[in-house]
Amino acid sequence: MEIDEHIGCAMSGLTADARTLVEHGRVETQNHRFSYNEPMSVESTTQALCDLALRFGEGDEESMSRPFGVSLLIAGHDDNGPCLYHTDPSGTFWQCNAKAIGSGSEGADTALQEHYDLNMTLEEAETLALSTLKQVMEEKVTSSNVDIAKVAPTYHLYTPQEVEAVIQRL
Amino acid sequence: MSMMFAPRLTEAAAPTTHAAPTWSPYDNNGGTCVAIAGEDYCVIAADTRMSTGFSILTRNYSKIHQITDKSVLASSGFQADIRALQKNLDARHQIYQHQHSKQMSCPAMAQLLSNTLYYKRFFPYYAFNVLGGLDSEGRGCVYTYDAVGSYERSGYSSQGTGMQLIMPVLDNQLKSASPLVLPLRQSTTPLSEVEAVDLVKDTFASAAERDIYTGDGVEIVIVNRDGIRHELMDLKRD
Repeated sequence: MEIDEHIGCAMSGLTADARTLVEHGRVETQNHRFSYNEPMSVESTTQALCDLALRFGEGDEESMSRPFGVSLLIAGHDDNGPCLYHTDPSGTFWQCNAKAIGSGSEGADTALQEHYDLNMTLEEAETLALSTLKQVMEEKVTSSNVDIAKVAPTYHLYTPQEVEAVIQRL
Repeated sequence: MSMMFAPRLTEAAAPTTHAAPTWSPYDNNGGTCVAIAGEDYCVIAADTRMSTGFSILTRNYSKIHQITDKSVLASSGFQADIRALQKNLDARHQIYQHQHSKQMSCPAMAQLLSNTLYYKRFFPYYAFNVLGGLDSEGRGCVYTYDAVGSYERSGYSSQGTGMQLIMPVLDNQLKSASPLVLPLRQSTTPLSEVEAVDLVKDTFASAAERDIYTGDGVEIVIVNRDGIRHELMDLKRD
């Protein structure tokens, strides 16, 4: 989902919880633009989301009685270039070059470890991401059961045609 | 004792009239501020006289405040409000630095100042501000404000009691083309840093002649890639 023009995120876990976090992220980034007339850095946005994760929500009424059960991959582009952060329900975040989350994440992480290269092109990254997904998915990868989004340097969710084009290259 | 009840009736009958207010929460301490943006520098200047009514409070008060490494605020108006505003911005900048591990850029500070002023829309800071500095690309920028936060980036500006005397002179010297000309021209002046400082000195000397609230001295701050430097020039003390 898009958080701001220059930041997107992917979720794994209780995706209903993720929407609350994403909404909070959207509010924080827009507040930042309102106050400072500049895009919020990806790390600060990630920090804002993790602050919420620790509080289980805002205030007296809206706060939850349990942690948010979701991990996020925050991808964005700011003054430091493109970057990726991984968050978990504990409110900790790590910066990564490549990461997989979810039920198939262990196998996928290993695959990424082997094939990731810092100097990859966008096309190579698309292919790597989808082929890694293919390895851990039970069903066949099609343009209707897979979503791809990129932040290069603005957020863009691929249309089914664009997804199909990547699938063809696998 | 029975008279105590009578006034209440007459108050309801007659409309209440307010006497002319004897106390105002504001005072104008006078003075003038100027800023000029160049290709890779910014000059911010203000006189050093602080007055009240027809009296001088001090001949040596700085209206200029450095907020970040690259942003300098000059304000004329009610100095108590201005001091509070400066402290507010400093605190906000500290918090920003803690949260984002970097200093605020000048355009970001410009937006923050606008929001801070508008926050007190119904009991404004009596401050007429000019914010100067370098933007993220190292180009000079000048932002000029009204008391409630309306702001604009421009190549030069002046505010304060001497504004009406100085602005036309700056327009004459620095205005390159109509702002309606497309493509949008850069909002910096073609003058060199030394020429800009000289122009500022000349404008203050002229303003001090006719504006009674401007004089004693002018403090000039120059921001460029090497850092920030200060100059002081004497003005007429009458």
